[in-house]
Amino acid sequence: MAMTPQRSSNPRGPNRGPHSGPPQRGGYQRNASPNGQRSTNRQQQQRKKRTCRFCDAKDVYIDYKNEKRLQRFVSEQGKIIPRRITGTCARHQRQLVIAIKRARHLALLSFVNDAVS
Amino acid sequence: MAQKQQIYETTFIINASLDDPQIDTIVDKVKDVIVKHHGEIMELVKWGRKRFAYPIRKKNNGFYVVFEFKSTGDLVAKLERHFLLEENIIRFLIIALDKKALQARISGNDLLKQAAPPVPSTSGSPLVAAVPAEDLDVPEVPISPIKI
Repeated sequence: MAMTPQRSSNPRGPNRGPHSGPPQRGGYQRNASPNGQRSTNRQQQQRKKRTCRFCDAKDVYIDYKNEKRLQRFVSEQGKIIPRRITGTCARHQRQLVIAIKRARHLALLSFVNDAVS
Repeated sequence: MAQKQQIYETTFIINASLDDPQIDTIVDKVKDVIVKHHGEIMELVKWGRKRFAYPIRKKNNGFYVVFEFKSTGDLVAKLERHFLLEENIIRFLIIALDKKALQARISGNDLLKQAAPPVPSTSGSPLVAAVPAEDLDVPEVPISPIKI
């Protein structure tokens, strides 16, 4: 049985370079649990994905005057929360951003809050 | 040449340190500007004194007023000019209501009055009209059990 010559040590295991196939068991794998399943982190992230709140409520128009509702989409620092975290759809995120900016102009929401450290 | 009538909404903030009659005169002046240039006022809601999220001109609260009116486009520039000249009006915002906003108004998702404190407004607000008429008439039912 001829032994294949060992190449230079690769942290991904012997004979595994950038163009090799799927991660092999027993070798170095990123984000792998012992039973070989990849990225339980990603599963957790996918489970958190919700539908857009405004689409569920069938809201057509997001009003800038209702600052209590808008405050849920603004962080502690006063920044607008990205839609990958709130789960809002693109259309409603655009309307939401316009409403938040109008509310900020009318001092119903603040531009910046001092960070609570 | 703007002949098309559109529905606009303006929210403005009056200096809160004024007395109530002075605030009323300012609101009436705005109303006159709208009416003088052939605008039709549909709603007027006074929110009252509200705290700012950040100080404006070194003050922490102001008197909010919301107008909704229908007019041609040329009134907007004149109204803006009036707001800028009036020194007691410290912020203003005039927007044209697009069809989505109007749709929300018609379907009753109107937040115009929901944001307002419980002050009786000129027209019927959705909050007050939330109780349907049939619930108010309690039918006089005899207490005796119904025999079938």
